[in-house]
Amino acid sequence: MRGQTYRPDSARDELPAAEGTVTDPSTLAPGQRLIYPGQGVCEITGVEAKEIAGQQLEMVRMRRLEDGAAVLVPKGKVASIGLRRLPTVEQVEGVFHYLGASYDAPELDWKTRHRDNADRLLLGGVLGVAEVVKGLNGLSQLRPLPTKERELYDHARHLLVAEISAALGVPPGIAEDYVDYALMPPAGVKFQLKPPPPPVLPPAKPRPRRGGIAEDLADLGLPDLELEEAEEEAEGEGEPSAAGGEEGEAEEAAPEEVRHPAAKAAAKAHPPARKTVAKKAAPKKHAPAKKAPPKKRAPAKPARGGKKK
Amino acid sequence: MIRVVTLTRVDPADLTALTKTLYRAFGVGTEHVGDREPPATNGAKGRVDAVALIAAAPPVRAFADDKVLFITDAPLTVPPGPLGEPPAYGYAEYGGRSAAMTLARLPARGVTETSIEAWRRRLAREAIHFVGHLWGLHHCCDARCAMHPSWSQSLSPTPDADLCTFCREKSEDRIRSAKT
Repeated sequence: MRGQTYRPDSARDELPAAEGTVTDPSTLAPGQRLIYPGQGVCEITGVEAKEIAGQQLEMVRMRRLEDGAAVLVPKGKVASIGLRRLPTVEQVEGVFHYLGASYDAPELDWKTRHRDNADRLLLGGVLGVAEVVKGLNGLSQLRPLPTKERELYDHARHLLVAEISAALGVPPGIAEDYVDYALMPPAGVKFQLKPPPPPVLPPAKPRPRRGGIAEDLADLGLPDLELEEAEEEAEGEGEPSAAGGEEGEAEEAAPEEVRHPAAKAAAKAHPPARKTVAKKAAPKKHAPAKKAPPKKRAPAKPARGGKKK
Repeated sequence: MIRVVTLTRVDPADLTALTKTLYRAFGVGTEHVGDREPPATNGAKGRVDAVALIAAAPPVRAFADDKVLFITDAPLTVPPGPLGEPPAYGYAEYGGRSAAMTLARLPARGVTETSIEAWRRRLAREAIHFVGHLWGLHHCCDARCAMHPSWSQSLSPTPDADLCTFCREKSEDRIRSAKT
Protein backbone atom coordinates (compact mmCIF):
# COMPACT_ATOMS: atom_id res chain seq x y z
CA MET A 1 0.00 0.00 0.00
CA ARG A 2 2.97 2.26 0.43
CA GLY A 3 3.13 3.02 -3.26
CA GLN A 4 -0.57 3.71 -3.65
CA THR A 5 -1.14 6.48 -6.14
CA TYR A 6 -3.99 8.82 -6.87
CA ARG A 7 -6.06 7.90 -9.88
CA PRO A 8 -8.61 10.31 -11.28
CA ASP A 9 -12.16 9.20 -10.58
CA SER A 10 -15.27 11.26 -11.21
CA ALA A 11 -17.19 9.54 -8.38
CA ARG A 12 -14.47 10.44 -5.95
CA ASP A 13 -14.28 14.02 -7.14
CA GLU A 14 -17.95 14.52 -6.31
CA LEU A 15 -17.28 13.79 -2.65
CA PRO A 16 -16.67 16.66 -0.25
CA ALA A 17 -12.98 17.05 0.49
CA ALA A 18 -11.70 15.82 3.84
CA GLU A 19 -11.45 18.42 6.55
CA GLY A 20 -8.27 20.47 6.32
CA THR A 21 -7.56 19.67 2.67
CA VAL A 22 -5.26 22.22 1.08
CA THR A 23 -7.01 23.80 -1.86
CA ASP A 24 -4.84 26.86 -2.34
CA PRO A 25 -1.14 25.99 -2.78
CA SER A 26 -0.11 29.61 -2.25
CA THR A 27 -0.90 29.19 1.47
CA LEU A 28 1.86 26.61 1.86
CA ALA A 29 4.99 27.76 3.62
CA PRO A 30 8.29 26.08 4.49
CA GLY A 31 8.26 24.40 7.88
CA GLN A 32 4.55 23.61 7.66
CA ARG A 33 3.59 19.99 8.35
CA LEU A 34 1.08 18.30 6.09
CA ILE A 35 -0.46 14.88 5.67
CA TYR A 36 0.21 13.26 2.33
CA PRO A 37 -2.59 10.68 1.93
CA GLY A 38 -1.24 7.16 2.03
CA GLN A 39 2.30 8.35 2.79
CA GLY A 40 2.22 10.01 6.19
CA VAL A 41 3.32 13.24 7.80
CA CYS A 42 5.52 15.46 5.63
CA GLU A 43 7.20 18.79 6.26
CA ILE A 44 7.52 21.43 3.56
CA THR A 45 11.12 22.32 2.95
CA GLY A 46 10.62 24.79 0.13
CA VAL A 47 9.24 25.60 -3.28
CA GLU A 48 11.45 25.22 -6.32
CA ALA A 49 11.18 25.45 -10.09
CA LYS A 50 11.96 22.35 -12.14
CA GLU A 51 12.01 21.68 -15.83
CA ILE A 52 10.26 18.41 -16.60
CA ALA A 53 9.64 17.26 -20.18
CA GLY A 54 10.29 20.76 -21.46
CA GLN A 55 7.82 22.33 -19.04
CA GLN A 56 8.78 24.73 -16.30
CA LEU A 57 6.94 23.52 -13.20
CA GLU A 58 6.80 24.96 -9.73
CA MET A 59 7.23 22.15 -7.24
CA VAL A 60 6.59 21.97 -3.53
CA ARG A 61 9.42 20.03 -1.94
CA MET A 62 8.56 18.06 1.20
CA ARG A 63 10.35 15.70 3.50
CA ARG A 64 8.61 12.73 4.99
CA LEU A 65 9.20 12.94 8.73
CA GLU A 66 9.28 9.20 9.23
CA ASP A 67 12.32 8.48 7.11
CA GLY A 68 13.35 11.76 5.51
CA ALA A 69 12.26 10.70 2.03
CA ALA A 70 11.96 13.60 -0.43
CA VAL A 71 8.56 14.26 -1.95
CA LEU A 72 8.03 16.69 -4.83
CA VAL A 73 4.52 17.80 -5.74
CA PRO A 74 3.68 20.19 -8.61
CA LYS A 75 1.80 23.19 -7.25
CA GLY A 76 -1.03 22.57 -9.66
CA LYS A 77 -1.55 19.06 -8.28
CA VAL A 78 -1.66 19.98 -4.61
CA ALA A 79 -5.45 20.16 -4.48
CA SER A 80 -6.10 17.00 -6.48
CA ILE A 81 -3.62 14.89 -4.48
CA GLY A 82 -5.51 15.61 -1.29
CA LEU A 83 -2.73 17.09 0.83
CA ARG A 84 -4.24 18.15 4.13
CA ARG A 85 -3.20 19.96 7.25
CA LEU A 86 -2.56 18.18 10.52
CA PRO A 87 -5.83 17.31 12.28
CA THR A 88 -6.85 19.60 15.10
CA VAL A 89 -7.09 18.35 18.67
CA GLU A 90 -10.91 18.39 18.37
CA GLN A 91 -10.75 16.23 15.26
CA VAL A 92 -8.44 13.78 17.01
CA GLU A 93 -10.78 13.63 19.99
CA GLY A 94 -13.62 12.85 17.61
CA VAL A 95 -11.54 10.02 16.19
CA PHE A 96 -11.00 8.55 19.65
CA HIS A 97 -14.70 8.76 20.43
CA TYR A 98 -15.32 6.95 17.17
CA LEU A 99 -12.72 4.30 18.00
CA GLY A 100 -14.11 3.79 21.48
CA ALA A 101 -17.70 3.37 20.26
CA SER A 102 -19.17 -0.08 19.80
CA TYR A 103 -18.30 -2.04 16.67
CA ASP A 104 -20.33 -1.87 13.52
CA ALA A 105 -20.75 -5.10 11.60
CA PRO A 106 -17.75 -5.29 9.27
CA GLU A 107 -18.29 -5.37 5.52
CA LEU A 108 -18.05 -9.02 4.52
CA ASP A 109 -17.73 -8.62 0.77
CA TRP A 110 -13.98 -8.39 0.30
CA LYS A 111 -14.17 -6.46 -2.97
CA THR A 112 -16.37 -3.74 -1.51
CA ARG A 113 -14.27 -3.70 1.63
CA HIS A 114 -11.01 -3.38 -0.26
CA ARG A 115 -12.33 -0.60 -2.50
CA ASP A 116 -13.86 1.32 0.41
CA ASN A 117 -10.74 0.97 2.50
CA ALA A 118 -8.52 2.22 -0.31
CA ASP A 119 -10.79 5.23 -0.83
CA ARG A 120 -10.96 5.99 2.87
CA LEU A 121 -7.20 5.90 3.22
CA LEU A 122 -6.69 8.29 0.33
CA LEU A 123 -9.61 10.66 0.73
CA GLY A 124 -11.20 10.15 4.12
CA GLY A 125 -8.92 12.25 6.27
CA VAL A 126 -7.88 11.09 9.72
CA LEU A 127 -11.35 9.70 10.39
CA GLY A 128 -11.20 7.64 7.21
CA VAL A 129 -7.92 6.10 8.33
CA ALA A 130 -9.44 5.37 11.73
CA GLU A 131 -12.40 3.71 10.03
CA VAL A 132 -10.09 1.39 8.14
CA VAL A 133 -8.25 0.45 11.34
CA LYS A 134 -11.44 -0.11 13.29
CA GLY A 135 -13.16 -2.00 10.49
CA LEU A 136 -10.27 -4.40 9.95
CA ASN A 137 -9.76 -4.78 13.68
CA GLY A 138 -13.41 -5.75 14.01
CA LEU A 139 -13.05 -8.20 11.16
CA SER A 140 -9.95 -9.73 12.74
CA GLN A 141 -12.04 -10.62 15.77
CA LEU A 142 -14.32 -12.69 13.56
CA ARG A 143 -11.63 -14.45 11.56
CA PRO A 144 -7.92 -14.07 10.81
CA LEU A 145 -7.19 -11.39 8.23
CA PRO A 146 -5.77 -12.50 4.88
CA THR A 147 -2.21 -11.38 4.16
CA LYS A 148 -3.10 -8.37 1.99
CA GLU A 149 -5.62 -7.06 4.48
CA ARG A 150 -3.21 -7.66 7.32
CA GLU A 151 -0.72 -5.49 5.46
CA LEU A 152 -3.37 -2.88 4.85
CA TYR A 153 -4.30 -2.95 8.53
CA ASP A 154 -0.68 -2.45 9.53
CA HIS A 155 -0.25 0.36 7.01
CA ALA A 156 -3.44 2.13 8.13
CA ARG A 157 -2.41 1.77 11.75
CA HIS A 158 1.00 3.22 10.92
CA LEU A 159 -0.60 6.26 9.23
CA LEU A 160 -3.08 6.77 12.06
CA VAL A 161 -0.42 6.58 14.74
CA ALA A 162 1.80 9.03 12.83
CA GLU A 163 -1.05 11.52 12.40
CA ILE A 164 -2.17 11.33 16.01
CA SER A 165 1.38 11.53 17.23
CA ALA A 166 2.01 14.68 15.18
CA ALA A 167 -1.34 16.25 16.09
CA LEU A 168 -1.10 15.64 19.84
CA GLY A 169 2.66 16.10 20.06
CA VAL A 170 3.32 12.76 21.75
CA PRO A 171 5.77 10.03 20.74
CA PRO A 172 4.36 7.42 18.31
CA GLY A 173 4.65 4.66 20.92
CA ILE A 174 2.28 6.52 23.23
CA ALA A 175 -0.06 7.51 20.38
CA GLU A 176 -0.43 3.84 19.54
CA ASP A 177 -1.24 3.05 23.17
CA TYR A 178 -4.00 5.68 23.02
CA VAL A 179 -5.42 4.12 19.86
CA ASP A 180 -5.46 0.62 21.31
CA TYR A 181 -6.75 1.80 24.65
CA ALA A 182 -9.79 3.08 22.75
CA LEU A 183 -10.06 0.09 20.42
CA MET A 184 -9.42 -2.66 22.97
CA PRO A 185 -10.11 -1.24 26.41
CA PRO A 186 -8.99 -3.22 29.48
CA ALA A 187 -11.54 -5.14 31.51
CA GLY A 188 -13.78 -2.89 33.58
CA VAL A 189 -13.02 0.31 31.68
CA LYS A 190 -15.96 2.19 30.20
CA PHE A 191 -15.58 5.45 28.38
CA GLN A 192 -17.92 8.42 28.53
CA LEU A 193 -18.19 8.85 24.82
CA LYS A 194 -19.55 11.76 22.85
CA PRO A 195 -21.41 11.10 19.62
CA PRO A 196 -18.73 10.24 17.06
CA PRO A 197 -18.36 12.31 13.89
CA PRO A 198 -20.36 11.16 10.86
CA PRO A 199 -18.61 8.37 8.97
CA VAL A 200 -16.77 8.94 5.71
CA LEU A 201 -18.89 8.00 2.71
CA PRO A 202 -16.91 6.22 0.04
CA PRO A 203 -17.92 7.02 -3.53
CA ALA A 204 -20.67 4.77 -4.82
CA LYS A 205 -19.41 2.91 -7.84
CA PRO A 206 -21.59 0.79 -10.12
CA ARG A 207 -21.05 -2.84 -9.33
CA PRO A 208 -20.30 -5.22 -12.20
CA ARG A 209 -23.51 -6.81 -13.32
CA ARG A 210 -23.85 -10.45 -12.42
CA GLY A 211 -26.27 -13.07 -13.60
CA GLY A 212 -27.29 -13.80 -10.01
CA ILE A 213 -28.61 -17.24 -9.15
CA ALA A 214 -29.14 -18.07 -12.83
CA GLU A 215 -25.37 -17.84 -13.31
CA ASP A 216 -24.79 -19.91 -10.20
CA LEU A 217 -27.17 -22.59 -11.49
CA ALA A 218 -25.30 -22.60 -14.76
CA ASP A 219 -22.09 -23.22 -12.78
CA LEU A 220 -23.81 -26.14 -11.07
CA GLY A 221 -24.60 -27.69 -14.44
CA LEU A 222 -28.31 -26.91 -14.47
CA PRO A 223 -28.52 -24.37 -17.26
CA ASP A 224 -30.78 -26.45 -19.53
CA LEU A 225 -33.58 -26.62 -17.04
CA GLU A 226 -33.60 -22.89 -16.61
CA LEU A 227 -33.30 -22.15 -20.29
CA GLU A 228 -36.30 -24.31 -21.15
CA GLU A 229 -38.36 -22.48 -18.60
CA ALA A 230 -37.07 -19.22 -19.91
CA GLU A 231 -37.98 -19.99 -23.46
CA GLU A 232 -41.46 -21.09 -22.45
CA GLU A 233 -42.03 -18.01 -20.35
CA ALA A 234 -40.98 -15.87 -23.25
CA GLU A 235 -43.31 -17.76 -25.55
CA GLY A 236 -46.23 -17.56 -23.12
CA GLU A 237 -45.84 -13.86 -22.66
CA GLY A 238 -45.22 -13.26 -26.31
CA GLU A 239 -48.69 -14.31 -27.43
CA PRO A 240 -50.73 -11.54 -25.82
CA SER A 241 -48.10 -8.95 -26.61
CA ALA A 242 -48.75 -9.21 -30.31
CA ALA A 243 -51.88 -7.10 -29.84
CA GLY A 244 -50.35 -3.72 -29.12
CA GLY A 245 -47.13 -1.73 -29.37
CA GLU A 246 -46.98 -0.90 -25.68
CA GLU A 247 -46.98 -4.55 -24.79
CA GLY A 248 -43.99 -5.01 -27.01
CA GLU A 249 -41.99 -3.34 -24.25
CA ALA A 250 -43.20 -6.00 -21.87
CA GLU A 251 -42.08 -8.57 -24.37
CA GLU A 252 -38.58 -7.12 -24.31
CA ALA A 253 -38.59 -7.08 -20.55
CA ALA A 254 -39.70 -10.66 -20.23
CA PRO A 255 -36.39 -12.37 -21.06
CA GLU A 256 -34.62 -10.19 -18.50
CA GLU A 257 -37.08 -11.24 -15.85
CA VAL A 258 -36.47 -14.83 -16.69
CA ARG A 259 -32.73 -14.37 -16.33
CA HIS A 260 -33.01 -13.24 -12.74
CA PRO A 261 -34.60 -15.85 -10.52
CA ALA A 262 -35.53 -13.20 -7.99
CA ALA A 263 -37.57 -11.48 -10.65
CA LYS A 264 -38.90 -14.89 -11.63
CA ALA A 265 -40.16 -15.41 -8.11
CA ALA A 266 -41.83 -12.03 -8.26
CA ALA A 267 -43.40 -12.97 -11.59
CA LYS A 268 -44.91 -16.05 -9.97
CA ALA A 269 -47.00 -13.73 -7.85
CA HIS A 270 -48.99 -12.83 -10.99
CA PRO A 271 -51.67 -15.58 -11.35
CA PRO A 272 -51.96 -15.85 -15.18
CA ALA A 273 -48.25 -16.07 -15.83
CA ARG A 274 -47.77 -18.51 -12.97
CA LYS A 275 -50.41 -20.90 -14.24
CA THR A 276 -49.15 -21.04 -17.80
CA VAL A 277 -45.57 -21.54 -16.76
CA ALA A 278 -46.41 -24.19 -14.21
CA LYS A 279 -48.55 -26.17 -16.60
CA LYS A 280 -46.12 -26.06 -19.45
CA ALA A 281 -43.01 -26.59 -17.44
CA ALA A 282 -44.27 -29.56 -15.48
CA PRO A 283 -44.35 -32.20 -18.26
CA LYS A 284 -40.97 -31.20 -19.65
CA LYS A 285 -39.38 -31.45 -16.24
CA HIS A 286 -40.68 -34.97 -15.81
CA ALA A 287 -39.88 -36.05 -19.38
CA PRO A 288 -36.18 -36.74 -18.84
CA ALA A 289 -37.01 -38.54 -15.62
CA LYS A 290 -39.20 -40.98 -17.48
CA LYS A 291 -36.57 -41.63 -20.09
CA ALA A 292 -33.91 -42.21 -17.53
CA PRO A 293 -35.03 -45.57 -16.07
CA PRO A 294 -34.81 -47.54 -19.37
CA LYS A 295 -31.22 -46.39 -19.71
CA LYS A 296 -30.45 -48.03 -16.41
CA ARG A 297 -32.15 -51.21 -17.41
CA ALA A 298 -30.40 -51.32 -20.76
CA PRO A 299 -27.13 -52.83 -19.55
CA ALA A 300 -29.08 -55.58 -17.80
CA LYS A 301 -30.55 -56.86 -21.09
CA PRO A 302 -27.41 -58.35 -22.58
CA ALA A 303 -26.82 -60.12 -19.32
CA ARG A 304 -30.19 -61.77 -19.52
CA GLY A 305 -29.55 -62.65 -23.13
CA GLY A 306 -26.28 -64.17 -22.11
CA LYS A 307 -28.00 -66.38 -19.66
CA LYS A 308 -30.36 -67.57 -22.38
CA LYS A 309 -27.47 -68.41 -24.58
CA MET B 1 22.32 -6.92 19.32
CA ILE B 2 19.79 -6.62 22.11
CA ARG B 3 21.20 -5.37 25.40
CA VAL B 4 19.19 -5.90 28.55
CA VAL B 5 19.88 -3.51 31.43
CA THR B 6 18.30 -4.15 34.81
CA LEU B 7 17.42 -1.20 37.04
CA THR B 8 16.39 -3.57 39.80
CA ARG B 9 17.51 -6.92 41.12
CA VAL B 10 16.39 -9.79 38.89
CA ASP B 11 17.14 -13.47 39.40
CA PRO B 12 19.99 -14.54 37.07
CA ALA B 13 18.04 -17.64 36.02
CA ASP B 14 15.17 -15.42 34.94
CA LEU B 15 17.55 -13.25 32.93
CA THR B 16 19.08 -16.30 31.26
CA ALA B 17 15.64 -17.49 30.24
CA LEU B 18 14.77 -13.99 29.01
CA THR B 19 17.87 -13.58 26.84
CA LYS B 20 17.33 -17.03 25.34
CA THR B 21 13.73 -16.21 24.45
CA LEU B 22 14.65 -12.85 22.95
CA TYR B 23 17.33 -14.53 20.85
CA ARG B 24 14.84 -17.11 19.66
CA ALA B 25 12.22 -14.48 18.82
CA PHE B 26 14.40 -12.10 16.82
CA GLY B 27 17.43 -14.18 15.86
CA VAL B 28 19.67 -11.42 17.20
CA GLY B 29 22.34 -11.82 19.86
CA THR B 30 21.09 -10.86 23.30
CA GLU B 31 23.08 -10.17 26.43
CA HIS B 32 22.52 -8.90 29.93
CA VAL B 33 24.72 -5.82 30.29
CA GLY B 34 24.34 -5.64 34.06
CA ASP B 35 22.58 -3.80 36.84
CA ARG B 36 22.41 -0.01 36.86
CA GLU B 37 21.15 2.51 39.38
CA PRO B 38 17.63 3.69 38.50
CA PRO B 39 17.53 7.37 37.46
CA ALA B 40 15.97 9.83 39.88
CA THR B 41 12.65 10.48 38.16
CA ASN B 42 9.87 11.05 40.60
CA GLY B 43 6.36 10.85 39.20
CA ALA B 44 3.00 11.26 40.84
CA LYS B 45 1.98 8.63 43.42
CA GLY B 46 5.36 6.96 43.31
CA ARG B 47 5.04 6.17 39.64
CA VAL B 48 7.74 6.96 37.12
CA ASP B 49 7.12 8.68 33.81
CA ALA B 50 8.16 6.11 31.20
CA VAL B 51 9.33 8.70 28.68
CA ALA B 52 11.38 10.53 31.31
CA LEU B 53 12.86 7.25 32.52
CA ILE B 54 14.32 6.52 29.11
CA ALA B 55 15.55 10.06 28.69
CA ALA B 56 17.32 9.92 32.05
CA ALA B 57 18.45 6.30 31.82
CA PRO B 58 22.09 5.56 32.55
CA PRO B 59 24.29 5.45 29.45
CA VAL B 60 24.85 2.04 27.93
CA ARG B 61 27.60 1.30 25.50
CA ALA B 62 25.88 0.22 22.29
CA PHE B 63 26.63 0.26 18.58
CA ALA B 64 24.43 1.31 15.68
CA ASP B 65 21.20 -0.66 15.46
CA ASP B 66 21.69 -2.10 18.93
CA LYS B 67 18.55 -2.12 21.01
CA VAL B 68 18.59 -1.45 24.72
CA LEU B 69 15.87 -2.71 27.05
CA PHE B 70 15.68 -1.34 30.58
CA ILE B 71 13.86 -3.42 33.16
CA THR B 72 12.57 -1.72 36.28
CA ASP B 73 10.26 -2.71 39.10
CA ALA B 74 8.89 0.83 39.52
CA PRO B 75 5.34 1.33 38.25
CA LEU B 76 5.41 3.36 35.06
CA THR B 77 3.04 5.98 33.76
CA VAL B 78 2.40 7.66 30.43
CA PRO B 79 0.67 11.00 29.78
CA PRO B 80 -3.13 10.61 29.68
CA GLY B 81 -4.75 10.60 26.27
CA PRO B 82 -8.15 11.84 25.09
CA LEU B 83 -9.92 8.83 26.66
CA GLY B 84 -7.72 8.48 29.72
CA GLU B 85 -4.42 6.96 30.68
CA PRO B 86 -3.66 3.57 29.19
CA PRO B 87 -2.02 1.03 31.54
CA ALA B 88 1.73 1.35 31.11
CA TYR B 89 3.57 -1.96 30.92
CA GLY B 90 6.46 -0.06 29.43
CA TYR B 91 7.40 2.34 26.72
CA ALA B 92 9.50 2.04 23.57
CA GLU B 93 10.86 4.62 21.17
CA TYR B 94 9.12 3.42 18.03
CA GLY B 95 11.83 2.37 15.59
CA GLY B 96 14.40 3.81 17.98
CA ARG B 97 17.05 2.51 20.35
CA SER B 98 15.71 2.30 23.89
CA ALA B 99 12.74 0.79 25.63
CA ALA B 100 11.74 0.36 29.24
CA MET B 101 9.43 -2.16 30.82
CA THR B 102 8.20 -2.63 34.33
CA LEU B 103 7.81 -5.75 36.43
CA ALA B 104 5.17 -4.03 38.55
CA ARG B 105 2.29 -5.06 36.28
CA LEU B 106 3.32 -8.69 35.85
CA PRO B 107 1.49 -11.31 37.89
CA ALA B 108 3.13 -12.47 41.13
CA ARG B 109 6.19 -14.62 40.56
CA GLY B 110 5.25 -17.11 43.26
CA VAL B 111 7.47 -19.85 44.60
CA THR B 112 6.29 -22.93 42.75
CA GLU B 113 7.95 -24.13 39.58
CA THR B 114 4.77 -23.63 37.59
CA SER B 115 4.23 -20.06 38.74
CA ILE B 116 7.87 -19.15 38.15
CA GLU B 117 7.70 -20.65 34.67
CA ALA B 118 4.52 -18.66 33.92
CA TRP B 119 6.14 -15.49 35.26
CA ARG B 120 9.21 -15.97 33.09
CA ARG B 121 7.03 -16.51 30.05
CA ARG B 122 5.11 -13.33 30.76
CA LEU B 123 8.34 -11.41 31.33
CA ALA B 124 9.70 -12.68 28.01
CA ARG B 125 6.43 -11.79 26.28
CA GLU B 126 6.56 -8.19 27.46
CA ALA B 127 10.24 -7.94 26.57
CA ILE B 128 9.54 -9.22 23.05
CA HIS B 129 6.69 -6.72 22.79
CA PHE B 130 8.83 -3.69 23.56
CA VAL B 131 11.85 -4.84 21.57
CA GLY B 132 9.39 -5.44 18.71
CA HIS B 133 8.39 -1.77 18.91
CA LEU B 134 12.06 -0.86 18.68
CA TRP B 135 12.21 -2.82 15.42
CA GLY B 136 9.23 -0.89 14.09
CA LEU B 137 6.44 -3.36 14.83
CA HIS B 138 2.98 -2.04 15.64
CA HIS B 139 0.42 -3.66 17.87
CA CYS B 140 -1.00 -6.81 16.37
CA CYS B 141 -4.65 -7.83 16.12
CA ASP B 142 -3.78 -11.49 16.77
CA ALA B 143 -4.30 -12.15 20.50
CA ARG B 144 -1.70 -14.95 20.46
CA CYS B 145 1.04 -12.64 19.19
CA ALA B 146 3.43 -10.97 21.62
CA MET B 147 2.67 -7.64 19.90
CA HIS B 148 -0.97 -7.73 20.97
CA PRO B 149 -1.68 -4.98 23.54
CA SER B 150 -0.78 -6.20 26.99
CA TRP B 151 -4.04 -4.99 28.57
CA SER B 152 -6.37 -6.50 26.00
CA GLN B 153 -9.25 -8.61 27.25
CA SER B 154 -8.59 -11.12 24.49
CA LEU B 155 -5.15 -11.86 25.91
CA SER B 156 -4.79 -15.30 27.46
CA PRO B 157 -3.90 -15.37 31.20
CA THR B 158 -0.74 -17.26 30.24
CA PRO B 159 0.14 -15.73 26.87
CA ASP B 160 2.78 -17.20 24.59
CA ALA B 161 6.12 -15.47 24.27
CA ASP B 162 6.21 -15.55 20.49
CA LEU B 163 5.42 -13.43 17.46
CA CYS B 164 2.79 -14.22 14.85
CA THR B 165 3.93 -14.98 11.31
CA PHE B 166 3.25 -11.47 10.04
CA CYS B 167 5.13 -9.74 12.86
CA ARG B 168 7.97 -12.23 12.67
CA GLU B 169 8.44 -11.66 8.96
CA LYS B 170 8.23 -7.91 9.38
CA SER B 171 10.80 -7.92 12.15
CA GLU B 172 13.08 -10.16 10.09
CA ASP B 173 12.82 -7.71 7.20
CA ARG B 174 13.71 -4.81 9.47
CA ILE B 175 16.61 -6.65 11.03
CA ARG B 176 17.90 -7.72 7.61
CA SER B 177 17.79 -4.16 6.31
CA ALA B 178 19.49 -2.72 9.40
CA LYS B 179 22.76 -0.94 8.78
CA THR B 180 24.92 -3.35 10.71
